[in-house]
Amino acid sequence: MITAGLVEALAGIVGARHVRTAPAERVTYARDGLPTHRRVPAVVVLPGSREEVIAVVRLLAAHGVPVVPRGAGTGLSGGALADGSAVLLVLTRLNRILGVDPKNRIALVEPGVVNARLSVAAAPHGLYYAPDPSSQTACTLGGNVAENAGGPHCLKYGVTAQHVLALEVVLGDGRVVELGSPGGEPWGPDLVGLFVGSEGNFGIATRIAVRLLPLPRAVRTLLADFTSLRTAGEAVSAVIASGIVPAALEMMDQSCVRAVEDSVYAAGYPRDAAAVLLVELDGGSEAAVTADAETIQSVLREHGARSTRTAADARERERLWQGRKKAFGAMGRLSRDLVVQDAVVPRSTLPDVLETIARIAATYQLTVSNVFHAGDGNLHPNISFDGRVPGLKARVDAASTEIMEACIAVGGTITGEHGVGLDKLRYMPLIFDAESLTAMRAVRRVWDPEERVNPGKVVPVHACREWSGIGTRNAERGTRNPIAPSSSTFPIPTSALAP
Amino acid sequence: MSDRGGFEALDACVHCGFCLQACPTFLATGDEADSPRGRIELMRALESGELAPDDPAVVVHLDRCLGCRGCEPVCPSGVGYGRGIEAARALLATKRRPAPLARAALWALTTPGPSRIAYRLARMLRATGLPGAVAGWGRLRFAMGMLAATRPVRNAEWGVRSPRVTADSARRTPHSALTTVLLFRGCVMDGLFSHVHDATMRTLEVNGYAVREVPGQVCCGALHAHAGLREEARRLARANVAAFGDGDGDEPVVVNSAGCGAMLKEYGHLVDEARFAARVRDVTELLAARGPRPGAPVDVQVAYDPPCHLLHAQRIADEPYRVLAAIPVLRVVSLPDAAQCCGSAGLFTLLEPAMSRAVLAPKLASLRTASPQVVATGNPGCLMQLGAGLAASGLRAAARHPVELLDESYRAAGYYA
Repeated sequence: MITAGLVEALAGIVGARHVRTAPAERVTYARDGLPTHRRVPAVVVLPGSREEVIAVVRLLAAHGVPVVPRGAGTGLSGGALADGSAVLLVLTRLNRILGVDPKNRIALVEPGVVNARLSVAAAPHGLYYAPDPSSQTACTLGGNVAENAGGPHCLKYGVTAQHVLALEVVLGDGRVVELGSPGGEPWGPDLVGLFVGSEGNFGIATRIAVRLLPLPRAVRTLLADFTSLRTAGEAVSAVIASGIVPAALEMMDQSCVRAVEDSVYAAGYPRDAAAVLLVELDGGSEAAVTADAETIQSVLREHGARSTRTAADARERERLWQGRKKAFGAMGRLSRDLVVQDAVVPRSTLPDVLETIARIAATYQLTVSNVFHAGDGNLHPNISFDGRVPGLKARVDAASTEIMEACIAVGGTITGEHGVGLDKLRYMPLIFDAESLTAMRAVRRVWDPEERVNPGKVVPVHACREWSGIGTRNAERGTRNPIAPSSSTFPIPTSALAP
Repeated sequence: MSDRGGFEALDACVHCGFCLQACPTFLATGDEADSPRGRIELMRALESGELAPDDPAVVVHLDRCLGCRGCEPVCPSGVGYGRGIEAARALLATKRRPAPLARAALWALTTPGPSRIAYRLARMLRATGLPGAVAGWGRLRFAMGMLAATRPVRNAEWGVRSPRVTADSARRTPHSALTTVLLFRGCVMDGLFSHVHDATMRTLEVNGYAVREVPGQVCCGALHAHAGLREEARRLARANVAAFGDGDGDEPVVVNSAGCGAMLKEYGHLVDEARFAARVRDVTELLAARGPRPGAPVDVQVAYDPPCHLLHAQRIADEPYRVLAAIPVLRVVSLPDAAQCCGSAGLFTLLEPAMSRAVLAPKLASLRTASPQVVATGNPGCLMQLGAGLAASGLRAAARHPVELLDESYRAAGYYA
């Protein structure tokens, strides 16, 4: 129960001005980057240090109150939303870069550090942080860890999990554990790997050690445009088949290109193209990268590119990338409401899947814009609509589900990088059977036996209940119904996690 | 204007959050309610009636917005945040009277009769040297620092020597036909920065403009509009449009205050005077259109700090640099956070001193590192805020308008001889 006494005690830890209880203030935290979901938290707390985070989590544990961690709120699955029974723990004030060790290429950061700021801080040492989600100018590294964030350049360099070396984590009961080691994995199973991508279900990272990479010495960015979506999809496979691994391989369709070209991030993409591909090549020497770029350019032309061009300088390269990375935000130009999907399909099926998506859009009479990580087969269909039109949201949901089912039918899965959160709970039973879901939940309970940290996310408990007999929580509403740890069918001791 | 009074400008927001790091108040507090996206949420709830315009939490967070519009140029969807916040503030104003301090400041600074007396007293106080001597961090001492920052600076005071005036150096540019422009004098600019007006006229004339004075003009109304007093702003706007003869002439209206310029350019939305709005030019736009003509060397290190209402509201980025580039030897040092607000924001510095200083702090920190001799910025509020901040933190740099530097360069070149 959240009582006046608890709120007072929270204020005692973080200071009264960092505890938000007024309805208007809580309303501003009711959505993340996927605004179709809305939950108003009971209380918002903004701690200023790891010590305050620990004290807050311990206090909430003592009161049995659920806690939901949140970074910048740019997530795209409703993962950082808390309802009226929970406290939202906002980590934006923990934004210090604690150290950059250029010799060992390691940075130690607090969870509220904005992704792009770390690369800026590392740049004087000739280093950067590789995972670059499109929201990197806003999103935090803590959120990146929770979601195992991807980004265009993860095609070559891997997602967040490949770049996190060690973590300090506050568990739901307030105990602090250290996972991994900046020098490499010190013991047995990969607990860092387990934590990264846990969507706030396993605890709250308070310190993050990440790997930095040397800035590539040579970079070429190519823009190719196509008169059909299918040809562009086929060209993607051809690029990969060439044996050269691009740093990034991104696709945007016409609707997306036009939204970007109408915005301040206009990059000079041809507005009449059915699709454009953005291909980046990087490496240790100008000569090698130039040769690769020439090869890729001819592959693209052989596979139907109408034209290709190379960014002339760093400024043009930046412009081409800014257009791509801000494309999601530019969708607001098409309509006042937006749902972005996130699915992965085998790369070879891209041409067919894109056509299927177009067909679904036509059937439901919806505008779907595609902007995605083509090299990974990680699709992001964006559905634009006006939520004020009666019945339209239901149509959007139906189309979303159909798109997801089409992706699964060709051997794909329901999320590439945005996470499950709230939004994809309904799809989980489409790809996992009851036993798998039960096992996932059991793993979560190792870290958080009371399921008090970010409750009601990731694993659809309402379905799970029938299969496993544990819990009576309504995951869709996130209504809290405390479960005694002893009721778990998987009484795995947590002592293994103790420091 | 639509019947939604400006709120419709917020419809394009899809909550992507790309504005967060461009917002000085979000950077200061880390609180979504102090961010553009959070405030848009509040404004939407205000429009729908879900939140009341007298809700104290709504008022606090909307009042804390600087109105710098730093969020607009980074918004991929082109959300009209500035228009939205003015609509919201007009709605708040229906439920409350402006703060007594805001009322008093508006009265003293913008009402023709009283303001003349207020400015005269202020100039007398300024001339005593007392404000400069007591400038510091407290509320009153900071205000004294702001007043001290309005004092005309002479070369000798900041330790820079310019070459002697050469008597026979070139005269005015031989532009065949002079372009007539009309000077907008404003309120604070006219009361405390008349030396900038003088420099504006001289430098424009060197570049082939004939500057004409326009009687009957009044305050632009920006301070009123930002305080939610839209009707007063409209009244002032109509008076200005009448004074500058809408429709009769197409002469450019030249403004050297970014805040006033941004407001005058908004008259199309405020009072449906788009033709007048289209005539408004910042002084650096006019100068850059002519080069401007190079002057004599001035050996000084300058940090240019773009006023938000020039960079974000008017989207004028390069022109001030081109004005500075016309001054040989002068070196421009770049500030990493130059695009960020200094915390002045009109009356904000007086009404929300704590937030204003918090926003100013990172700016002063980077100025300490860059250690320029002059901080150049083209807006009275910024000149005063930066001047006071520099004085309070013991940095030996002067805040000056870019045209003052050009003026000095021209004087040294003998263009005025």
